[in-house]
Amino acid sequence: MKGSSKAKENLGWVFLLGLGLGLLIWDSAAAQAPIKVGASISVTGTYAKLGGYTRDGYLMCAKEINDKGGLLGRKLEFVIYDDRSETTTAIKLYEKLITEDKVELVMGPYSSPITNAASTVSEKYKKIMVASLAATTSIWERGFKYLFMTISPAEVYMEGLVELAAERGLKTIAVINEDTLFSKAAASGTIDLAKKKAMKVVMHDAYPKGTTDFSGLLIRMKALNPDVIVAGSYFDDAVATTRQMKELDVNPKMFGVTVGGDVPDFGKQLGKTAEYVYGSTQWSDDVKYPGAREFTENYKKMFNREFSYHAPAAYGACQVFAEAIRRAKSLDSDKIREQLLKLKITTAFGDYQVDERGFQTAHKMVLLQWQEGKRVTVWPASLAEAKPLYPTPPWSQRK
Amino acid sequence: MPIEITGGMLLQGVVSGLLAGGLYAMVALGMALIFGVMRVINVAHGTLLMLGAYATYWLFALYGMNPFLSLLISFPLLFVVGVILQRLFVYRVVDAPELSSLLLTFWISIFIANMAMVAWTADYRSVEFLTGSFLLGPIALSKPRLISFCFALGITYLAFLFLNKSKTGKAIRATSQHRELAQVCGINVRRIDLITFGLAAGLAGTGGSLVSVMFSVFPEMGQIYVFKSFLVIVLGGAGNYPGAFFGGLILGLVEGLASLYLSAQLSEVIAYILLVLILLVRPTGLLRGRS
Repeated sequence: MKGSSKAKENLGWVFLLGLGLGLLIWDSAAAQAPIKVGASISVTGTYAKLGGYTRDGYLMCAKEINDKGGLLGRKLEFVIYDDRSETTTAIKLYEKLITEDKVELVMGPYSSPITNAASTVSEKYKKIMVASLAATTSIWERGFKYLFMTISPAEVYMEGLVELAAERGLKTIAVINEDTLFSKAAASGTIDLAKKKAMKVVMHDAYPKGTTDFSGLLIRMKALNPDVIVAGSYFDDAVATTRQMKELDVNPKMFGVTVGGDVPDFGKQLGKTAEYVYGSTQWSDDVKYPGAREFTENYKKMFNREFSYHAPAAYGACQVFAEAIRRAKSLDSDKIREQLLKLKITTAFGDYQVDERGFQTAHKMVLLQWQEGKRVTVWPASLAEAKPLYPTPPWSQRK
Repeated sequence: MPIEITGGMLLQGVVSGLLAGGLYAMVALGMALIFGVMRVINVAHGTLLMLGAYATYWLFALYGMNPFLSLLISFPLLFVVGVILQRLFVYRVVDAPELSSLLLTFWISIFIANMAMVAWTADYRSVEFLTGSFLLGPIALSKPRLISFCFALGITYLAFLFLNKSKTGKAIRATSQHRELAQVCGINVRRIDLITFGLAAGLAGTGGSLVSVMFSVFPEMGQIYVFKSFLVIVLGGAGNYPGAFFGGLILGLVEGLASLYLSAQLSEVIAYILLVLILLVRPTGLLRGRS
């Protein structure tokens, strides 16, 4: 009897030792295992172009952090899936990332509509989502606790264009937009800004996502002959609208697009047709934020191509997130949240500060114009490289 | 915001609509041929169109070839692709229940589109060849659209000439009218199937080439044309080839006018409403087709 109880006791010790060893091994493995950061990005579909830059920004950020020794002593590793530019796919992917892949952190996808949908999943699992590329105010009016905005809201995208137009005494404006979350907000924001400057909105119409033929809209617009035309667009529709304006000989004094005009491919696809078009951007090469120039150099080194603001935006958001984690010294959502709410920093992408909703209040927009095949910053005056070429000459008088 | 529609705008709407319609007619003719001869609804028709567009894009981007000249390559190229598809897969579902052909061609469509995405990425590309327009009073005639329209008309005319005059063309029509009877009369219907699919794919590819000078080229560009072609066939009457031609023009016209009078969102719905109406009122098509 005695022997057997002794044996039991021994067995108990062995068990404890094993457990301890196991824990030790598990713990040190965990210390070395990378922090998995999940995100869905539009690699295919209508947002593919811009989604690609978003992914580049994340990867650059992770590489830089890892080169400097990682975050909380661990490497960052992005797990990125393709949401095909579809909100429903993005929702499924964030579910999968959080529940199956067990990523410890998530980052936002590309575009407002997709962030709007995907954030319902991250909020459900109490994961912080730093939304690197969602600019629609209404997303932050749903009372979500764990969602943070890093870029300027859609409503002010065309602030520069409206201001330049008002300075030049222009009176009428026509606005069209893709019928999705961000574009709608950008259009209605532009309309509010224009009304404040006593401009008359002569037309406002929305078109469904995926529209390729804008003839009907443009014929009506041509008849109204507005001084300013603003398209609340993404890339493909911005290209198509510009090209078809030329085909239908629509001649505003100023024409601006919210998204798309700042993408290098806009000029590549349209050639001379892109001249004089205004585009708005969250960031440009000539901003003077710390690390901005290095970002441009490193990007070209790493990917060997040009980029639009989406890359530094994703990069900056990831840096903001990393800084908050460093200060929180933990991956705990509530601790990071506390830091994100009071954080006030300037990354290569610009200023970051949010209000109690997580809504961005510090970041600034830039207006650019295509001049001789290049994107030139024309507003705000403090950053402007050149004066806007005004007015936009009619198509028939161009070479 | 209501806008007064002037005569000039109306004329512009009609012109824009007809220009688009010519292209629909040509692309739909291919789909109608396949349906007529084989009773196969070719959902992959749009993907073939996409391949034609890429052929033109690459010839233009790499060799600077005139996109309209590249029709001489995209048509035979897609003809061969069509023949291969028919030979390998589609012959299995000829005269089978519609569901089989839908499933098969849907699979082909997804497969090719995804291969294109892998090979060429999802980037939007454009053939920046002709831009701008001819101005005729209040009307702007878009250069790329006008020229594409002329080519589409010309090629559709040639296709009709082929169907009506040549021996093979007559055999195609005979097969489409009565498969068994045609076979009894000594027509090799298997061979006719091959030629038909090749011809249809060639027409789709040509359509792609012509679309590429107007709109962006990307792997999923063909999808809307599948629906439009289907609508055109229903409009014109299944199996009725001249019907496909007029159906195309009508669809273009309706779209052009709808986008003028209605908001852009509503005008997208018009095509669907048209489809439902035709199916309710005249299910055999405007120019009575074979039921």
